Amino acid sequence: MKAIIATTILGIIMMFAGIMAKEKKPLTTLATILLVILLGVNIWDLTNTSSLAPESLFNNMLRIDRYALWFNTLMTGCTLLYVLLVGREIQKVGEHVAEYFALIFFILCGVYLLSCYNNLLILFIGIEIMSIPQYILAGSDKRNLKSSEASLKYFLMGAFTTGILLMGITLLYGATGSFNIVSFSFLQSDHLNTLALAGILFIMMAFSFKVSAAPMHMWTPDVYDGSPTAFTAYMATIVKAAAFFAFLRLFQVSFGSLSSHWTFVLAIITAATLLVGNLTAVFQQSVKRMLAYSSIAQAGFMLFAILAVNAVAWQGIIIYAVAYSIATIGIFTVLMKLKDYTYDGFNGLAKKEPLLAFVSTIFLFSLAGIPLTAGFMAKYYVLQALIQQGSLLWLVIFGLLMASISVYYYFRVIIAMYFKQGAAELNSPVSGTDKFMLVFTCFLVILLGIFPQLLLGNI
Amino acid sequence: MSQLVYLVPLFPLIGFLINGIGWRRIPKSLGGVIGSLAVLASFCVSLGIFFEVKDPSFHGPVIVQLFEFIHSGKLFIPFSFQVDSLSSLFLLIITGVGFLIHVYSTAYMHDDEGMVKYFSFLNLFVFSMLLLVLGGNYLVMFIGWEGVGLCSYLLIGFWFKNRDYTNAAKKAFIMNRIGDLGFLVGMLLILFNYGTLSYQDFFGKLQGAQPAGISSDTYNWIAICLFIGATGKSAQIPLYTWLPDAMAGPTPVSALIHAATMVTAGIYMIARSHVLYTLAPMTLHIVAIVGLATALFAATIAIRQYDIKKVLAYSTVSQLGFMFLALGVGAYTTAVFHVMTHAFFKALLFLGSGSVIHAMGGEQDIRKMGGLGKKLRTTQITFLIGCLAISGIPGFSGFFSKDEILAAAYAHDPVLYYLAAAAAMMTAFYMFRLYFLTFTGGFRGTEDQAHHLHESPAAMTIPLIILAILSIIGGYVGLPAVISEHHALGSFLSSSVTNISEHHLEAGTEWMLMGVSVTLSVLMIAVAYSVNKKPNFTPSTGLAKILENKWYVDELYDAVFVRPIQNFSAFMERFAERKGIDGIVNGVGKSVRWGSDRIRLLQTGQVGFYIFVMVLGMITLFALGFFWVKL
Repeated sequence: MKAIIATTILGIIMMFAGIMAKEKKPLTTLATILLVILLGVNIWDLTNTSSLAPESLFNNMLRIDRYALWFNTLMTGCTLLYVLLVGREIQKVGEHVAEYFALIFFILCGVYLLSCYNNLLILFIGIEIMSIPQYILAGSDKRNLKSSEASLKYFLMGAFTTGILLMGITLLYGATGSFNIVSFSFLQSDHLNTLALAGILFIMMAFSFKVSAAPMHMWTPDVYDGSPTAFTAYMATIVKAAAFFAFLRLFQVSFGSLSSHWTFVLAIITAATLLVGNLTAVFQQSVKRMLAYSSIAQAGFMLFAILAVNAVAWQGIIIYAVAYSIATIGIFTVLMKLKDYTYDGFNGLAKKEPLLAFVSTIFLFSLAGIPLTAGFMAKYYVLQALIQQGSLLWLVIFGLLMASISVYYYFRVIIAMYFKQGAAELNSPVSGTDKFMLVFTCFLVILLGIFPQLLLGNI
Repeated sequence: MSQLVYLVPLFPLIGFLINGIGWRRIPKSLGGVIGSLAVLASFCVSLGIFFEVKDPSFHGPVIVQLFEFIHSGKLFIPFSFQVDSLSSLFLLIITGVGFLIHVYSTAYMHDDEGMVKYFSFLNLFVFSMLLLVLGGNYLVMFIGWEGVGLCSYLLIGFWFKNRDYTNAAKKAFIMNRIGDLGFLVGMLLILFNYGTLSYQDFFGKLQGAQPAGISSDTYNWIAICLFIGATGKSAQIPLYTWLPDAMAGPTPVSALIHAATMVTAGIYMIARSHVLYTLAPMTLHIVAIVGLATALFAATIAIRQYDIKKVLAYSTVSQLGFMFLALGVGAYTTAVFHVMTHAFFKALLFLGSGSVIHAMGGEQDIRKMGGLGKKLRTTQITFLIGCLAISGIPGFSGFFSKDEILAAAYAHDPVLYYLAAAAAMMTAFYMFRLYFLTFTGGFRGTEDQAHHLHESPAAMTIPLIILAILSIIGGYVGLPAVISEHHALGSFLSSSVTNISEHHLEAGTEWMLMGVSVTLSVLMIAVAYSVNKKPNFTPSTGLAKILENKWYVDELYDAVFVRPIQNFSAFMERFAERKGIDGIVNGVGKSVRWGSDRIRLLQTGQVGFYIFVMVLGMITLFALGFFWVKL
């Protein structure tokens, strides 16, 4: 609760700081300090809320429980890590650095709302608060045609989806007469009326768009590829994780008892997402674009948690969100150091920058789900959740097959770095701080791969 | 003291780690000292444990659990050691004889480049062997069992630049693995039927009420599987052929691993599992027959071998056969007794042969030796003691243990006795043939070798002397029943091993049996002397040629097993692997790339198309969703 207010205030402070600051660097430092404060506020929230009694606010519009607060804290932590790793790249994107940071704070506001909404209207507002800054960030490199194109595409399709979401909300309101998500759980599963089912499916489609699940994924490669890489890293990670958390919240709390009605459709969506994401990633020449497809593929795995509708799913989504975010931010950080974003651009990186190559390898291992990295544990938890659910074993097997395909395109980067001849060219020299932060991130990846319980200890 | 039992394997492990990690840097002499001291330290601890166990106040086995090894569901296997009279006796044999052989090796291997590496392997072997006998459950035993197999492989192939030696190493490893499979299956059967691998639990359950659904067939299956493991490790028919080839390793290795300790692991295992075997009389019968057959068969081969180490190797196989015979007639402690005396005299004989080989500059063919006694006095005398001991001449250790085996065999079935006595007779013959050809008569080697002949250094002769003394006195711990009521070893072991009681032989019968076997042995020594006084080595014919070629068993195995498997494997490689599996694997890869190439084209970059796909997809999903609900 305090964090929602804090992030808004801090965002505004950030905006005003832009007017006063002459240089870019202090702004990054300020953003870092403000994020630390925000993290502190989150932890304050967390310690003040007992695990037993969730807090209801604003006429039951928000319902704050430990899962939500813990998720907020983790996402704020990831954002801090992101700013520490990518801060300098954000400065390079354009002139209005303060605005970029302010937008990130506003995105976090949307994230917080999405983690604890108790009302479909708040869901809608949260999604919009989270999305609109992204449209701006996608187009922040104004002189770059691709960036503008990405922004416009994202906005157009986002607007289209907003319509779908509203349609769903409306239909549900029509069916139940309420926006409160808890009240939907009283829907009867034996004779669910068509209106409600259509509403659920519409909302599912809207969420599918936000988490880039097939067939609503088409925007992802273009937007991720066109946006400035620094912002792609954020859009692909924290924002997506928050969308998933909101997705899970609605479909578990409200529609969980009706799962027999929507599981099949979502299973088809999941399978299609895994197939499209993994297969298309194979043929890409640009690592950035490959990572966009990989983010679709990873979304397929996170959908497992939503299909599972059980307690492990919550743990799975939290671990997956963090593991995937950290590794992706890490690999994007390395990518931004390179001049050439194609696979060939990575050739021979291991000889030139052994540390960079090493940490990339660990990040890619994590994305591919190799044991001893966080990514393995993430996949383990979501697969376990789905296996416990029991009726979708074919999807588990399919997912594993697809995961093995993913090894191909992730390892292509490793092969390029270690076994191919070439002189990978760097954009900018890698500073000591960068190295330290990358090694720290790498350490986190391995630590969480060995002790995934660290991410769950506080719930 | 017994709580400190973990120290016993710990010292060799430390020795292995030091020598193993630093084998390029540690000077040779230091490596030898480290290796020997490690084993000496374990020997001292073992002595302490032995005296504690020997004390009448010691009750039952002590289980020392180091840590939880496997804990999964209902399965719980700790990493534990069991100290009782059986394991403490083996500790003494392994560390005691092991230490002497380490000391001997410091001199024997002194000119070798890889001496430090050699000692690290030797320490690793001692460590594994100690795990094997100390384990409190079958799994720990199995770890040691595999460990000694590995060390045996490493040490047989120690001079790996010689292709024959590496082949011998591979052969040993593979033959052992065949046996190990039996052991493993046996273990799994125990686990499956009784849910435990710990000796105490398992034997307790065996002796207690029989669980439902477990018949005496189960006992036999488990016992047979474990016995298959024993035939591999202890070189019994049909898996014995690796042991003679294993002589490719350095001679002290042959003494330690392929005579005194590792090859007796099978006997230890059956003695350890005696509760099971007593319940499986059919398997015991098989054990006795296999043991006897091996004893006879290997003895016949030994008669016509010319390589000094090969003779000893076949003799080892034959002696192991005796031990299995003893196990098979239910005289478990007798088998352990023979393990002990055999460890003394066979280590002595091998080390003696090593001394001879050392003097001869690497020559192992006894046709080129002769008259070495004049130059190698100590070696000759100690070797003679060894030969007397193995031939069962009264007063020497081998007499007591072998006599006990023969008596137990007679008590079980006189036919077993006659055949075993025949094998013992052959033993005396081939051992003294070896002795006479090597140490007496005229020298048949080259001038250079004659010049080079010398007695070995003290580091080699002192272990020989100690072992010779042990080969004489080692038997007095188990005096025959007709001489003394008190069987020291038997009563010591009785707390952990119980023999199947046979009816007692009358004193007269026992004297008679003893007299017969001793007379036969002496007679055979005389025959050996007269035959080999004027040796002539004309190419042999008929039966002799068959014996010289070891009954063509290697050739038989080659034709029946090795070739067909190789041909089958080549076939699989050419067709199933290249065409089938490669085809599937590459096919999957190709189809993924093909699919990727097609799906990629959907990404046109046009928002209108994207929204079209979205709408199309949504319509499809809605249709599916509603269709599903209607279903």
